[in-house]
Amino acid sequence: MTRTTPSSPKAAPRTRAGEPPGRAAASSPPVLRLGPVALPVHPRSLLWAAVLLLFLAAAAAATLSTGDLGVPLTRLPAVVAGAGEATETFVLERLRGPRLTVAVGTGAALGLAGALFQSVTRNPLGSPDVIGLGAGAGAGAAFAALVLPGVVPVPLGALAGAALAMVVVATATGTGLRHPGRLIVAGIGVAAMAQAFTHFVVSVMARDQASILSAYVNGSLGARSWEHALTIWAVLILVLPLVAALAGPVTVNEMGDELADALGARAAPTRTAAVAVSVVLSAAAVSVAGPIAFVSLTAPQIARRLSTAPGPNLALSALVGALLLVAADLVVQQSPVGDGLPVGIFTMAFGGVYLGYLLVREWRRGVL
Amino acid sequence: MVRVKTQTEPHRTGPARAVLVLGAGAAALAGAVLLSLVMGSRPTPLPEVWAVFTGGADPFVATVVESRYPRTLLGVVAGAALALAGTLMQGITRNPLADPGLLGVNAGAAAAVVTATALFGSTSVAGTVWWAMPGALAAGLAAYTVGSRGGDGGMVRLVLAGAVVSAVLTAYVQAVALSLPETFESYRYWVVGSLGGRGYDVVWSVLPVIGVGTALALLVCGGLNALALGEEAAIATGANTLWTRSAGLIAGTMLAAGATAAAGPIAFVGLAVPHVVRALIGVDFRLQVPFALLVGPTLLLAADVVGRTIVRPTELMVGVVTAFVGAPVLLYAVRRMRSTS
Repeated sequence: MTRTTPSSPKAAPRTRAGEPPGRAAASSPPVLRLGPVALPVHPRSLLWAAVLLLFLAAAAAATLSTGDLGVPLTRLPAVVAGAGEATETFVLERLRGPRLTVAVGTGAALGLAGALFQSVTRNPLGSPDVIGLGAGAGAGAAFAALVLPGVVPVPLGALAGAALAMVVVATATGTGLRHPGRLIVAGIGVAAMAQAFTHFVVSVMARDQASILSAYVNGSLGARSWEHALTIWAVLILVLPLVAALAGPVTVNEMGDELADALGARAAPTRTAAVAVSVVLSAAAVSVAGPIAFVSLTAPQIARRLSTAPGPNLALSALVGALLLVAADLVVQQSPVGDGLPVGIFTMAFGGVYLGYLLVREWRRGVL
Repeated sequence: MVRVKTQTEPHRTGPARAVLVLGAGAAALAGAVLLSLVMGSRPTPLPEVWAVFTGGADPFVATVVESRYPRTLLGVVAGAALALAGTLMQGITRNPLADPGLLGVNAGAAAAVVTATALFGSTSVAGTVWWAMPGALAAGLAAYTVGSRGGDGGMVRLVLAGAVVSAVLTAYVQAVALSLPETFESYRYWVVGSLGGRGYDVVWSVLPVIGVGTALALLVCGGLNALALGEEAAIATGANTLWTRSAGLIAGTMLAAGATAAAGPIAFVGLAVPHVVRALIGVDFRLQVPFALLVGPTLLLAADVVGRTIVRPTELMVGVVTAFVGAPVLLYAVRRMRSTS
């Protein structure tokens, strides 16, 4: 990636590493005007969005049609229309359909949450799954589902867990969310405690059933229902206006608090709102699929490299997140390597390797 | 432990205080051992346990209590090994966040053990120890190489690199263990770290490795004191820093690998114990090492007793309890880093 000279020397050290802040100014993109609304259009982002949608459709079709129970592609339209055989309808409506819908929604939510969080912490590693939010939400979900079944809805428990983890991490660093390294180390500690708590809850309530435990600790898309799909998509649609409203201020915020304030983007409230939305999205994702590792971390990073547009690239991050999770779930379901493992183990292995690459790259640049 | 008395003290911990603290540590360890024999998922009152010791007890109670002997012994051995490994690593890297669990060393040992078991079937623990050591060494070196790139990178890098190594290896261990459930039936608890369900044979098979590691650790205590002054000052005082580092590294690897082969990848004991030790007995490694040998087993046994009693009639794995107790130490250490990084 080429680096352009930052437009403001004062803002330069506070800008995210490797993201050329001056890029937008250098080649001002075409602008789409709809009455009072003006949206910058990045042709490259649009192109990649189309490509990602295509890939996502392909992965979704493969999810539905491969394997012993798969519905052949040629039969899909008929089955969707309600003219399929009993087995095919069962596979589509009970097994693969909900699982795929949950995977797309969860992946998109994780990608969005990661993009917002990484953007406002100006830290590619400051991602909800790295700093313990996912594990906290998992612990909250386990507590709500197993200790207080029917009293507290699982998504609410996940939200409380994620918020608590967030508060503990921010308190433990002593510097809020500013220092990237400390943030992550505190996150490791909080994640360890949250996982220990999940173990505790599962051993008390579920008599130590390995499969239940694995779903709460690693994250799994096995046996999802339309109820789960409804939860994640309802949350996604509810927060969508907020995310759209935040996109502009968050982009400006990446240039540093002072510059953002000067430009009228009001850094502190923007950050609070973005973190809150990110926590809600993470909690919703965890409440339907468990704390799936490293999708929040990798999706925004990939989106940034694809697009080169300034800012957090929210739409692309959501698409990449959805594609990553659907693809990972496809591997887990169909390949001999995956063999029915929880999808979270798979994403942890590959996301971990990517995290290592990211660390080395950041250090070479002298960040952290 | 006795030889401490004869030392001249370069630091503020006087001999009287050192003896007092070491005595208190020994008493605490004795208490933890007793608790570990008395408490369990089946409650056994103290008089009944005493009757077992003196003979002439109800045979059922005797069986229950005797089943706790190997477990307690394993707790003492593994706790001492992990605490010592953590002390060595914090000394060598001069990093208060170093821990064989956090640096991926335990995960490396676990990955090697799981690989060997998957390839050659359920071999004895004695066989897996020899797999665990290269695995532990490779993972530790990987974390250290990545984490110390570009010179003096501060304390955070090492932990981050270790977290990456741990995450990838833990995913691998879980994937293999979940894919071959029949091979890993007896490893289900071991994957999280557990003292339960292991016999004397497990303890005897890792004891030589841990014993040699402990002896080596006692040899490098003085060298670690010199190393604490910084590389240049240590060389200026005539210390052989290469010998201290490599011997310490080998000792730490042997200790962590032995403990992991026997009890599974237990994190945070190696992190928490040195912090407790330094707070109570000062920074002299010639005192830290023997004291860590007392505090480590005490902590691990206490955690195991809590795990056995808190979720009766089932048990919570000791690795889960140590994470809950040890992770706050990490948060505390992060908060204290404010002035240094």
